[in-house]
Amino acid sequence: MSNKSNLATKLSYFVAVFLVLFSIFALLAWRTLQQVRVQGPLYDEIMLGNELIADVLPPPQFIIEPYLLTLQLSEQTGATEITRLIEKGNELRINYENGQEKWKRVLARDTMGDLMTVTSYRAAMEFFRLRDDEFIPAIRAGDRDLAKRVLVQMGQRYEAHRYAIDEVWKLAAQRNVANEAKADTLVSSKLSALALLALAIIFLVFVMAWFARRAAATLSLRVQLVSEVADRVAHGDLSTEVPSTTDSDETGRLLGSIGRMTHNLRSLVTRVKQASVELMSTATEFAATSRQQESTVQGFGASTNQIAAAVKQIAATSQELLATMEGINAVSAQTADLAEQGQSGLSNLDSTMDRLAQTANAMSARLAAIREEAAEITGVVTTISKVADQTNLLSINAAIEAEKAGEQGLGFLVLAREIRRLADQTAVATLDIEQMVKQMQSAVSAGVMEIDRFAEEVRSGVGTVERVGGQFGQIISEVRTLSERFDTVNHGMRSQSHGARQIGEAMGQLLDGARQTSVSLREFNGATESLRDAVTVLKQEIAKFNLGS
Amino acid sequence: MLALAFRAGNADLAIAARSIVEVLPRVALRTPTLAPAAVIGLLPYRGTLMPVVDLCMLVEGRPAALELGTRIIVVRIHYAGDSRLVGLQAEDVSELIELGPTTPGLRSSEHAWLGDHLTQAAGLPQLVDPAELLPEALTKLFLAKAET
Repeated sequence: MSNKSNLATKLSYFVAVFLVLFSIFALLAWRTLQQVRVQGPLYDEIMLGNELIADVLPPPQFIIEPYLLTLQLSEQTGATEITRLIEKGNELRINYENGQEKWKRVLARDTMGDLMTVTSYRAAMEFFRLRDDEFIPAIRAGDRDLAKRVLVQMGQRYEAHRYAIDEVWKLAAQRNVANEAKADTLVSSKLSALALLALAIIFLVFVMAWFARRAAATLSLRVQLVSEVADRVAHGDLSTEVPSTTDSDETGRLLGSIGRMTHNLRSLVTRVKQASVELMSTATEFAATSRQQESTVQGFGASTNQIAAAVKQIAATSQELLATMEGINAVSAQTADLAEQGQSGLSNLDSTMDRLAQTANAMSARLAAIREEAAEITGVVTTISKVADQTNLLSINAAIEAEKAGEQGLGFLVLAREIRRLADQTAVATLDIEQMVKQMQSAVSAGVMEIDRFAEEVRSGVGTVERVGGQFGQIISEVRTLSERFDTVNHGMRSQSHGARQIGEAMGQLLDGARQTSVSLREFNGATESLRDAVTVLKQEIAKFNLGS
Repeated sequence: MLALAFRAGNADLAIAARSIVEVLPRVALRTPTLAPAAVIGLLPYRGTLMPVVDLCMLVEGRPAALELGTRIIVVRIHYAGDSRLVGLQAEDVSELIELGPTTPGLRSSEHAWLGDHLTQAAGLPQLVDPAELLPEALTKLFLAKAET
């Protein structure tokens, strides 16, 4: 944090020193102005001195002293004294004229100037001319009366001069008062302007200090940010996002450059990281693939060994199979013979069966004839029973008629009873016959059914015999084709045995190839391992860079 | 004295031989239109059409069995001074029995035609008077037809 405050503190120091110095300057200026201004302490002292001189000295431009000298001369009698006074008067005249020369140059041609250099001057010149031309010769001559008359004339001139001088004094005093007031207002206005100016300057300084402080703060913040980012980048942390700025000043540009640098560095490291990861996976895949291939080759070698063994076994087995086949062939020939014998036996059985069936059919026909006859008997019996019924009815009616006839009908009644009895007996007999015929019919029906069943069985027996015969035929033909097939199989077995031997040889060659492949794969494996080591080192180096999310 | 024995359903019945006109074999009959169920047909007999009543239908509510023993007993019935021949179809009409002494059995006012039992005959047949045998409705039906 000391870095941050450094710039601002220095700036603050500068501003404070400037403020102190400026305050001292302002105070001094104010104080000087206060001292030297009109009616200020110094001015008062100077004016006091001037007034003192003015009060002490006889005024050279006011001819009161020459007038007094003339008055003194008019009273004096000593010759030396008169000469000294005249000389002094001359001196005063020269002084006056010199002063007039100066004022003529200095004063403007206004009322006061005219009064001073024209009106008062003319009166004074008149006075000096009267003194030099008339008064002094009169005094030297000792003519006191003339001197006194001239003096009266001179007094008139003096009065005129004094009047003009008074006017001048009045005007000068007025002018002085006006000038003093003007100076006073000027100074006070300048003082307030000065104070305002000082205040403005102080305010401006504070504003400047604030701006400077802010600028310094922004600057130091940015610089600090940049230095932090640079520090992190130096430590490998590239995840820092540099805040983008639109400022086009130096720090903004620096910030942008640092941001671009970090971004480029990050993308570079990211690409390198991805590349290393891909490289690593590729190397791992290489290693895995080569290991797999190695194991495959080893498996292949083992399989090849197994295959060779299996092929040998196949060769041996096919030899055995060949022997077995020959045995089977003999047995099948025997089977065919037996089947043929069975077939001839069956054809005898077949003819017997046919005879049986014919007999059964004949029996069935005879039984049918018996059934028809029984049906005829039933018809006859029915007729007889109908006749019996009619007879019975007849006898009843006869008996009824006889009953109605009374005594005459008695004989007829007996006859009718006899007829009825006969009819009843006939009916009973027919009933018996009917019963017998029914029994016969059922017996015949049962016989027919039995014969039918027998005939059915015989028929099915014949079918079975035919089927068995057919099966025997099939067996015979199949056994015959079997022996042909066995021959084909035999041939195939021989060629298989030969082929198996060839396969065994090829397997041996394949085994050698597999061994060589295994050796080269081991070498490839070593190379892959070293590639992986190198990629691991690269990854560790890159891992030092933090890329954030 | 003789009586003709017959059956109507389970009932063994008999009719005095004197009151019988004739016994006829069972024949195919013309079924009458819109007649009571017991009237099974009309039979041309001696120049008239004789109504035939099935006694089995009357007693048990079932038609008589189609057997040789099933016959038509022709009787004459009287009503209000008029008479008409009526055929009665019954089962086992094949025997004449001696009309011996009779003993009254159960008597019901509803079926007054069931008379006394013949005590000497097998099955104790009940003597039936053909004049009272038919219900009054049938008698009226038959005789009303005769009047028109």
